[in-house]
Amino acid sequence: MLELEFTVNGSPRKIESEARLTLLEILRETFMLTGAKEACGVGECGNCMVLIDGVATPSCLVLAGDAGGTAIETIEGLASDGELDPVQRAFVDAGAFQCGFCTPGMVMTAKAFLRDNPDPEPEAVKQALSGVLCRCGTYSRIMRAIDQLTGRGI
Amino acid sequence: MQRLRRFEYHEPATIDEATGILAAAGDDARVLAGGTDLVIDMKTGRMRPSTVVNLKGITGLAGIEEAEGGVRIGALTKVTAVEASELVARRCPALNQAAAVLASPSVRVLATIGGNIGRASPASDLGPPLIVHGATVAVESPEGPREDLVEDLYVGPVTTTLASHEIITSVFIPATPRRFGSAHLKIGSRGGGTDISMVGVSAAMTLDADGSIVDAVIALASVAPTPMRAPDAEGALIGETPSEEVFAAAATAAAGECRPISDLRASASHRVALVRVLTTRALSAALEIARNGEVS
Amino acid sequence: MTTNVGRSVPRVDGYEKVTGAHVYGVDIQIAGMLHGAVVRSPHAHARIVSIDTAAAAQAPGVEVIVTGRDFPFLFGGACQDQPYLAIDRVRYIGEPVVAIAARTEAEAQEAVDLVTVEYEELPAVFDMMEALDENAPLVHPDMDTYVKGGHVIVPHTNINTLWTFQCGDVEAGFAEADHIFEHEFSAHAISPAALEPHVSVAKYDPVTGGYTLWLPTDRPFQMRGELTSSLGVTSDKVRIIVTGVGGSFGGKNTLISETISVALARHSGGRPVRVEFTREEDLVASTTRVPAVMRLKTGVTNDGMLTARTAEIVWDSGAYTANTPGVAIRGSSTIVGPYRVPNVSIESRQVYTNRAITGSYRGYGTTQVTWACESQMDIMAAELGIDPVSFRLRNAYEEGDPYINEQIMHGVGLHESLKRSAEEIGWGEVDRAPAPHLRRGKGIATMIKPTATPTSSNAVIKVEHDGRVTVLVAAPEIGAGQSTVLAQMAADSIGVPLDSIVIPGTDTAFTPFNGPVASSRTTYHVGNAIMLAGAEVREKILRAAGEIMELEPVSLDLMDGVIYHDGERITTVADMLGSFGFLDGYSITAEARYSPKGSPLLKAPGPYEWMSSIFWMFATHAVEVEVDIETGQVRVVKVAAAQDVGRAIHPLGCEQQIEGGVMMGISNGLFEQYKGSGGKIANSSFADYKLATMPDLPEIVPIIVESEHSEAPYGAKGVGEPGAAPTAAAIANALYDAVGIRLMDTPLTAESIREAIEALAEEQASEAGRSQ
Repeated sequence: MLELEFTVNGSPRKIESEARLTLLEILRETFMLTGAKEACGVGECGNCMVLIDGVATPSCLVLAGDAGGTAIETIEGLASDGELDPVQRAFVDAGAFQCGFCTPGMVMTAKAFLRDNPDPEPEAVKQALSGVLCRCGTYSRIMRAIDQLTGRGI
Repeated sequence: MQRLRRFEYHEPATIDEATGILAAAGDDARVLAGGTDLVIDMKTGRMRPSTVVNLKGITGLAGIEEAEGGVRIGALTKVTAVEASELVARRCPALNQAAAVLASPSVRVLATIGGNIGRASPASDLGPPLIVHGATVAVESPEGPREDLVEDLYVGPVTTTLASHEIITSVFIPATPRRFGSAHLKIGSRGGGTDISMVGVSAAMTLDADGSIVDAVIALASVAPTPMRAPDAEGALIGETPSEEVFAAAATAAAGECRPISDLRASASHRVALVRVLTTRALSAALEIARNGEVS
Repeated sequence: MTTNVGRSVPRVDGYEKVTGAHVYGVDIQIAGMLHGAVVRSPHAHARIVSIDTAAAAQAPGVEVIVTGRDFPFLFGGACQDQPYLAIDRVRYIGEPVVAIAARTEAEAQEAVDLVTVEYEELPAVFDMMEALDENAPLVHPDMDTYVKGGHVIVPHTNINTLWTFQCGDVEAGFAEADHIFEHEFSAHAISPAALEPHVSVAKYDPVTGGYTLWLPTDRPFQMRGELTSSLGVTSDKVRIIVTGVGGSFGGKNTLISETISVALARHSGGRPVRVEFTREEDLVASTTRVPAVMRLKTGVTNDGMLTARTAEIVWDSGAYTANTPGVAIRGSSTIVGPYRVPNVSIESRQVYTNRAITGSYRGYGTTQVTWACESQMDIMAAELGIDPVSFRLRNAYEEGDPYINEQIMHGVGLHESLKRSAEEIGWGEVDRAPAPHLRRGKGIATMIKPTATPTSSNAVIKVEHDGRVTVLVAAPEIGAGQSTVLAQMAADSIGVPLDSIVIPGTDTAFTPFNGPVASSRTTYHVGNAIMLAGAEVREKILRAAGEIMELEPVSLDLMDGVIYHDGERITTVADMLGSFGFLDGYSITAEARYSPKGSPLLKAPGPYEWMSSIFWMFATHAVEVEVDIETGQVRVVKVAAAQDVGRAIHPLGCEQQIEGGVMMGISNGLFEQYKGSGGKIANSSFADYKLATMPDLPEIVPIIVESEHSEAPYGAKGVGEPGAAPTAAAIANALYDAVGIRLMDTPLTAESIREAIEALAEEQASEAGRSQ
């Protein structure tokens, strides 16, 4: 068993974990943070994206050992006191979701991207979100949501 | 979801410790760098290593720096960092371009340059640009350090000359001459480009003061068991003055010497056709850089 | 009063979805639950000789092992031909053979490796045309013994669905024609690929013999029916509690993971069993779109009027029928497209093969037939020298036209959808060669889709003491905005605020019956039921207010939860009902059922009245594409997508459906494809089964066309399915416009496009050579 310490949404956590677990399994099954989803298991769908030290990362490919010592942010930590984060707000306003299964991954990826790129070109947005699949095909509405946020700071 | 099987896990603090664990564990041990290949292979069952050695605790394995007139890139450097490096963009345009189209941005934050080389995928995105830049790798093992050309590492699909207890620690890209240019292009099966390549082509060329080609290197991905050089195509270029006809002749030569198979991503004949197109286009892109003297 | 209907109010499921709080099937945890894994067949067709589970039974954590002999039931929506677990033979690669439940999923998966199954391979058939051969191996030799619905089978062959249709006199129609065109097209298998994989938790109560299941589905009552009829139990013995649904697209409407979880739960001593498919299992062993080969013969006059069509269609159901007879029949019935063709003859045969199971997929057969019909329309237009838009408009249905079964069609926004999409794309103007190796072209395709008719919906509405309104309908939110649209209609039909409406999830133990959330039927059918119940609730509220306030109900009005008397605000629903206290409480309820059965709109003379649809959907895509003539890569530049929705209850929701349909159409048409041979799927991962991603997004202009429909709730028809159907044909037609190539088979891969461009260039060169 590995002893791991990291922060999850700002709270310090210390757990024992089997080495074979992925960060996604730890988040969903140890912490019951089920916002991150698995749709492919091989890093193609991005539905499991969380921020590791501020970087949007597919948690299904991160072994437990690699999670140790990091700061992890998940969709559950984004809204505070029921107040949606601007990215979440924009997704609601623009109708940037349908079934919602990819939405946590999409929102977290957009969040990290906009933090680093407050005023991106549309092509850069498309590339930045290209690792998150949305089978409902809501891409055009997601672009509108991002468009509402660009240049405004988040 | 697909769960991983059990394995023994190590986080050594030094290279010596790591190579020691690997040597003791035998062929069944695997080095974990970014995990974007290893973890997937373990999930699909292509690999079931008994021992996994995570290099993350070893300091000094990540980073990009100018060295000996060239560029040294630590093996654990993320592809994202290669993509973002202004130094790489300036010195090794082909590598910069290849890093920017390797899988999706979400994979690039995990994948490492050393992992990409060590994986030795026939479809490697970083292999061809490193080959055309004459890059070498530094390798450590209990027998001591050694260096080898990236080109000479590849033996077959997912097979290298590296023993299972050897670890790539860094990649060195030598200084380029004046009037040098390089470029990388790939095509995947989806429009967006963030995809496994059906064909990848890197081209590099050096011009003399009169604008003739004094040196040219072409490397191809996804058209042979390993990333491959295209010597006939290179021969068609060296000594010539760049022109559409010369590039077309080189592209025809590359198409003739590549050895693709038909698989679930493309047929052999489609790959040959793409080699011809991408070689021409990569040469044009490399020429433009060579003429503008952007590589410095 | 419509204060909510017609407005793009914030979706009611928005907050929980953007915060990750929405509970999907994969998120369900039940105390004490075990986890399942499946031993699957490596053979396409084989007899099971023996199964050895002894080693697996000893493996750590393993609690239950079940084989087909332990749970020997057959199920199937249209025909009970499929075992929960293979009983004596396997018929496709990936078929479940042994189910294992363990304390953890990892332990269950590890135990799978320890099971040994001995097989004796049998001759297999993989090609649907070969399956028709009289000497072909029979996939189901005992087909005639199965319990099945009303569709026609041909015993002792592989034909599991035979359907024919005739109207007019095709020979006379061809005699009238100046030109007769014959072409064969094919449409390929596609994974619904909902991002939430198939998952279910099943719990068996050893005392009552009843099962409770938590699962994501769009057809709770139909799934319950499949379970009760296959297990031979009454309706109270199967309770389905629908979770959040992470996409369906037709895929989550039959038993998939449920057969495994139910079989394991039956033998687990009452412990719940969770079964989640991996993506590999989902791609290989759930359902795909039904592939089809379609041969069309069409007669046209010189001035571009269609005179006759014959269609021979073969569908491949794969190893089991699931609900494909309906797909084959409904799909075949629209092979004429949205055009007046007086003389029609259709022969549709669906065959078993030893391939992965197929099923319903967004459009229920119309994506396949639209590909054939609309490709041939453009081929004919080119031969006749008629503009493709003009050719379609000459033949396209208009308000009051009879359908091929002679139903008089109302609410036909087809011409407007054609004209507006063509106008938006800039029909007739193209910047041909934006770069030396790039060519651009424009193309158009349209489609028609009926909704399953007659199907019924029920609604129960309860007004609580504090004015909150509970609407009980079995209409799971599958992502298309059902919950928002139904809440809007409920609020307006009663006269209460939108935020007072609560639509709890579906639980078959409490929620009244509904047909499936499929066939784009929910807004119309459930909406009608809600409007009927809502009107009754409204009347009861006003009557109660009249009694309590001693006023004439006719002088009262209810708007936004406020009761008015002659225009003066007198109280609110909440205050009025709240005044009764907890013990002598006051709740108002109403229930209603809606079915279009018996509607005069459905009348059609002759034997085909069952083909009448209570509403018809029309969608047109006009596209601009850019093709790299050296690599064959296609970029869709712009799509103008016009769809007749009746009336938009939630315009943004309609646009989401239209735009999402376009993306799905692009993904289906250009990228998605199963690879492999001998029944083996080689690309069982999203690494190689490619879905469109953000960089593939073109400029999409959604165009909402509204048409009148007298029986529709607030005028609304359906919107979900049509959007994905015309895209592939529109792209193919644009490719013809761009570079003169014509592809007859989907998907339109870069490789097939490049080869066609090269072949055309060679042909033109040799013609030029001959003419010199």
